[in-house]
Amino acid sequence: MSMRLGPRVGEVIDRDEPLSFTWNGRTYPGYAGDTIASALAACGVRVFSRSFKYHRPRGLLTASHLDPGCMVQVDDEPNVRGAHRRVRPGMDVRSQDTWPTLSFDVKAANELARRMLPAGFYYKTFMSPGWLWPAYERVLERFAHGGVVGPGKVSALDGNERYDKRHAHPDVLVAGGGPAGMAAAVTAARSGCSVMLVEEELELGGHLRWGDDVDLTALSELRGRVAATPGIEVLTDAVVLGRYDGNEISVLQRGLPHVAERLVKARARTLVAAPGLIERPYVFAGNDVPGVMLSTAVRRLVNLHAVKPGDRAVVLTANADGDATALDLERAGVEVTRVDARRGGDVTRALGRGRVRAVELGDGRRVECDLLVTATGWTSAVSLLTMAGDQPRYDDTAARFRPDASRLPSDVMATGGVVGDGSCAQLVAHGEATGREAARRSAQSSVTASAAPPPLPVEPHPALFRGRTHGMVDFSEDVSSKDLFTAVEEGFRCPELAKRYTTATMGPAQGKLESVNVVAIIAEATGAAIAETGTTTWRPPYAPVSLGALAGRLREPTRLSPLASWHHSHGAAPLVAGAWIRPDHYGDPVAEAASVRDGVGIIDVTPIGKIDLRGPDVSRLLNLVYVNKWSKLEVGRVRYGVMCGEDGVVIDDGVTGRLAEDRYLMSTTSSGAVTVWEWLESWLQTERPQWRVHATPVTTSYASINVAGPRSRDLLARVVDDVDVAPEAFPYMHVRTGRLAGVPGCVVWRIGFTGELSFELHVPAGYGLHVWERLLEAGRDLGVRPFGVEAQRILRLEKGHLIVGQDTDATTKAYGAALDGLVKLDKDDFVGRPELSWGGQPGDGQRLVGLRMSPDSLVPAEGSQLLDHRGLICGRVTSSRLSPALGRAVCLAQVEAALAEPGRQVTVRLVDGGTARAAVTEQLAQVDPEGVRLRA
Amino acid sequence: MILLPCPWCGPRDADEFGYAGEIRPRPDPSTTTPAEWRGYLYLRRNTAGWTRERWFHRMGCRRYLVLERDTTNNDVRPSTDASSGSGS
Amino acid sequence: MAEAYSALALLRHGVTGRSWTPMWRERPLERGYPVVIIGGGVHGLATAYYLAANHGVTNVAVLDKGYLGGGGSGRNTAILRSNYLTVEGVRFYDRSLELYRGMASALNFNVMFSRRGHLTLAHSDTSLRTMRWRAEVNKASGVDSEVIGPDEVKRLVPEMDTSATARYPVLGALHHPPGGIVRHDAVVWGYARAADRLGVHLHQHTEVTGIEVSGGRVTGVRTNRGPIATPVVLNATAGWASTVSDMAGVPLPVQTFPLQAAVTEPVKPFLRTVVVSGTLHVYVSQTARGELVFGASVDPFASYSTRGSLEFTEGLAGHVLQLMPSLAKLRLLRQWAGLCDMTPDFAPVMGATDVAGFFLDVGWGTYGFKAGPVAGEAMAECIATGQTPEIISAFGLDRFAQGRLVGEKGAAAVGH
Repeated sequence: MSMRLGPRVGEVIDRDEPLSFTWNGRTYPGYAGDTIASALAACGVRVFSRSFKYHRPRGLLTASHLDPGCMVQVDDEPNVRGAHRRVRPGMDVRSQDTWPTLSFDVKAANELARRMLPAGFYYKTFMSPGWLWPAYERVLERFAHGGVVGPGKVSALDGNERYDKRHAHPDVLVAGGGPAGMAAAVTAARSGCSVMLVEEELELGGHLRWGDDVDLTALSELRGRVAATPGIEVLTDAVVLGRYDGNEISVLQRGLPHVAERLVKARARTLVAAPGLIERPYVFAGNDVPGVMLSTAVRRLVNLHAVKPGDRAVVLTANADGDATALDLERAGVEVTRVDARRGGDVTRALGRGRVRAVELGDGRRVECDLLVTATGWTSAVSLLTMAGDQPRYDDTAARFRPDASRLPSDVMATGGVVGDGSCAQLVAHGEATGREAARRSAQSSVTASAAPPPLPVEPHPALFRGRTHGMVDFSEDVSSKDLFTAVEEGFRCPELAKRYTTATMGPAQGKLESVNVVAIIAEATGAAIAETGTTTWRPPYAPVSLGALAGRLREPTRLSPLASWHHSHGAAPLVAGAWIRPDHYGDPVAEAASVRDGVGIIDVTPIGKIDLRGPDVSRLLNLVYVNKWSKLEVGRVRYGVMCGEDGVVIDDGVTGRLAEDRYLMSTTSSGAVTVWEWLESWLQTERPQWRVHATPVTTSYASINVAGPRSRDLLARVVDDVDVAPEAFPYMHVRTGRLAGVPGCVVWRIGFTGELSFELHVPAGYGLHVWERLLEAGRDLGVRPFGVEAQRILRLEKGHLIVGQDTDATTKAYGAALDGLVKLDKDDFVGRPELSWGGQPGDGQRLVGLRMSPDSLVPAEGSQLLDHRGLICGRVTSSRLSPALGRAVCLAQVEAALAEPGRQVTVRLVDGGTARAAVTEQLAQVDPEGVRLRA
Repeated sequence: MILLPCPWCGPRDADEFGYAGEIRPRPDPSTTTPAEWRGYLYLRRNTAGWTRERWFHRMGCRRYLVLERDTTNNDVRPSTDASSGSGS
Repeated sequence: MAEAYSALALLRHGVTGRSWTPMWRERPLERGYPVVIIGGGVHGLATAYYLAANHGVTNVAVLDKGYLGGGGSGRNTAILRSNYLTVEGVRFYDRSLELYRGMASALNFNVMFSRRGHLTLAHSDTSLRTMRWRAEVNKASGVDSEVIGPDEVKRLVPEMDTSATARYPVLGALHHPPGGIVRHDAVVWGYARAADRLGVHLHQHTEVTGIEVSGGRVTGVRTNRGPIATPVVLNATAGWASTVSDMAGVPLPVQTFPLQAAVTEPVKPFLRTVVVSGTLHVYVSQTARGELVFGASVDPFASYSTRGSLEFTEGLAGHVLQLMPSLAKLRLLRQWAGLCDMTPDFAPVMGATDVAGFFLDVGWGTYGFKAGPVAGEAMAECIATGQTPEIISAFGLDRFAQGRLVGEKGAAAVGH
């Protein structure tokens, strides 16, 4: 049955562009410019969804973005606002959470038990027997309301599935494109400001769009001024989501080519909020029956979409908009019965189920109809203002909360219907004055005097919230006024508590329609005034926003060494290590380790943190941040150092070399590269600002390559140009600078994390690949091969070298890491000294030890717990591997200090629950404890 | 996001900075007692209102700065460089 | 005396239309109470309830400057678990979980405890090692916890991107089957109702403005509604722990940080398990209503402002989509923030202080809600007997002066 009317003056549909789409599998016609809801309503569809709890049929209520009765699934997108979303050819639209069909929904049986299912009923039952609760829970879950997401629903991402972001810095951002907002934008722009004008609906105009001829004339004039004014950027189908600290305004923009949605992050100098008014539903029995609509819904349907919402209407009106709606209906050929609330008229009940059949009036009359229109009042759309600190106050005259502009920060202003009433001309004048003042504030000049806009009038309006019967308050949540009364009776007298208990305002509309009714009804139930009952805290976002839009294009940068592409093309298995992707191995870590023990291997250690330190006071800095001594480090030497926090806990380790009198190169752990640098800066800039030290992080300025193994000197000798690598010329723990493979400015230090003779090369990053390939080429006959992180871990564990953060944790002090010999308490001061001088006596807490397993080839998982003779936890395995060199397990462990003596036996609790024995070893090092190999 | 006034770079998004927390004078390590030192390590005034604190302009001038901020609403006042002497 | 709840009672009320008695009563503020508890959240209410139920101390006042459960109790993401890193932590939270499991019948109030299983994802070998460490401590303490591989993760959460090429590949997870979620408000109301029935006085909108200390002993509190004489005050606040303790002259090792959370529109249930990723700073669960509830780590700087930030939602959405790319069209409905009192060792501060009669149950960081029942049980015992129960002996304020911090910090940064 077509309900489409003949052409209307202000209609937004394009009758020259018909289209078709499907609704629950059936094909329907529509026009370009139709919303999903208007196209269906034009075809006589009146039920769009079922309610959350009782699965009552629901139709259109507001015919806007806020409509709680028109949430639909569109293709793979759940919870689409069908009264806002424009229909597109071929769209697959379905009703949500209905089974088997929208018209016959099994769960509607809930309605029969409605009296037994008051708000919060679930808190009062299913307590026993407890074992049945999981079954009840599964049943309750079936009532979760909404559409469907998940892998089964997602099509491959096409061009329209991208999301992006934009940063904007308008002088003035106007939220709301009604008459006041348009006027404010024009005036601000004419004052020289850059203006962003944001409108949630698909075109500018606000309520003028569905108004009479006078309104339409004003609309076209205002739109003309906006179009003709340079400096205004208009965003339609875009909604201001929130106002955050620093006047950061988030805007979600829809309907763009090439992207699904865009998040605009605008730093506005001044925000002008012109969100207007939201029409408030009236609470009475049957107020959610399809065919009960707000006056604005009717005017939208008739005047924008040329849809006749019914044939016989009752219009309950308390204001001019209601009166105008009655006229609109009559012009559309609808038979209208007016009930004037200003003269005591009232509606007590709407009858019908799938559609309104009749209405009972306050005077006892019963009127047959298929449409009941209510125009009973307005809610100021204050949420954006409350996000900026406003606390709206209830105005008895206007029967609505109004903003208290005195609490707004100077960079937020309000205009239009949210502030007060008035004719279109008055609203425009207020908008203009606000735009002028916003421009003045944005110019940040205190020269021109402030010209606060003159106040808008406030027109008296009857206070209509709930009538004489109980009805639905929160349509999305199926919460009735009876539920709120019950909640108050049960002690939930504070609105925040009553809302939590009944779930009123918790649904997809987030209270924008129903919040004031909730407050008014709680006030009624408690016998308090609305003003003292209070209002709600509005939280962002103003409108629900997709995770895709918030995320934008996923940006998770990784750090790669200059050798990354070589690793990739040579079969390296990637290892995620913080921000870095490193080669774990190239296929056979055990063979890689063996080649280092027997010949020579090279590893990319670029992620090792590197800090260039220059100045006369570097050695004082090193003495302060390391627990050991640095004043006597000669030029050409490197030394291992450990850093602790002020609480004595080990935070980092590494070697630092003295390259010249006033120049040092510090290395840190990979994960500590940034934190250690900031740590140094913190000491230099706050506690020791008089020291002359310049610290520069140079981690990625160098490609770092460790050449390790008994043949590493032979290999290095083939690529150095001007560094003497002979043992006597370049001893262990020394550093040299020079030219490698033709590359000047390289730093080479002779150290031995792997326990083998080895040289660490720091090569200017751009030449890293060149040197790497040169090493492989030059060492071919030596059997050189690249090795990865796993082989390095095996080697260092055989040698008993600890890894900070693995063999230590956030409570391990220097002694616990078996670093007693390093801590020099005879220094005047170093970071953590007081704590180490008192607390960390050998014997306290846990201590790092080596473990020998029995049976000795058993490799306990890292993290396995150690048990003492009483079976209590006394430590854990921190590192474990099968040693290729020894053919048995090698382990490091943290164990209670009292047990940390060579030969002590502990029990290892294995992952499968079994146990094994282990003995504390003499040293941490299991291979070459004397250090002969790395001194070769 | 709040804007912090860097004395070198001007107002910048707070996420360019590292938060180093309220300013606590470091006791003289050669004379301190365990009670005093652990007070320095662990106790915090944690003021609800205006506090003096350090921030590090990590993605800018790489300077530590001293800033007054109202912790109840994140309002800030002009800042100074931490090395200028007012920091401790 | 309030009536008992049951399916039969619902039926009876439905048929007769008779109204329910209030869950708790508004009572006059008396001039003195043997025990005053500051903070009407889960901790304060649970302490009051256990004082009355376990120790017969019923003449207790619970004061809250707002409404019951309006602070952290009503703002957390209601995740329960006991898979902590330290033996002390595991034992403590496992007792809490046990109390949560039996709460509906103990309080005659359905708190909707939902055993979901709890997954903490490991995206690197480092975090996999920490998960193994936690699992082994848990198992040794008798708590069900195990490290599982990516295939098993995929089986539990089909929406999860477990491909090896993900930026943060799922290498495995710590699976803790007893973990789950609960209806946080119901826990508050259940304790409030049960405490009220035992005679505890609940005073909402009653703000403490000062604590009277004389000769090293607590003698009373001042409130916006007048003074109250009392020898015992428990600070059971979150977000205001320092402010309240300062009134008694007890400085705390606490810094207050906002913790933000958000919820989506409801969709049909697809996520049974609680999912946590420490690397991505996100945790997510789906409520029985179909909403996804998200949380993150605390904000990057200390503050008492709960306004929340846009950047939080942006980062959150990005991280959620890294894990479950098919959720791009799901909409975020609401964001909010609560206040967390962080301690240096991620463990609470509980027990007596140097001011006689002034007790602490503060410093709960991001773990407060999980601990509510056991904290209440232990603090009730502590107040009633004057002895510190063994289960909270590691959490005393004096541990900081003694340098004996709890080792919970070794766990991942986000521990929900």
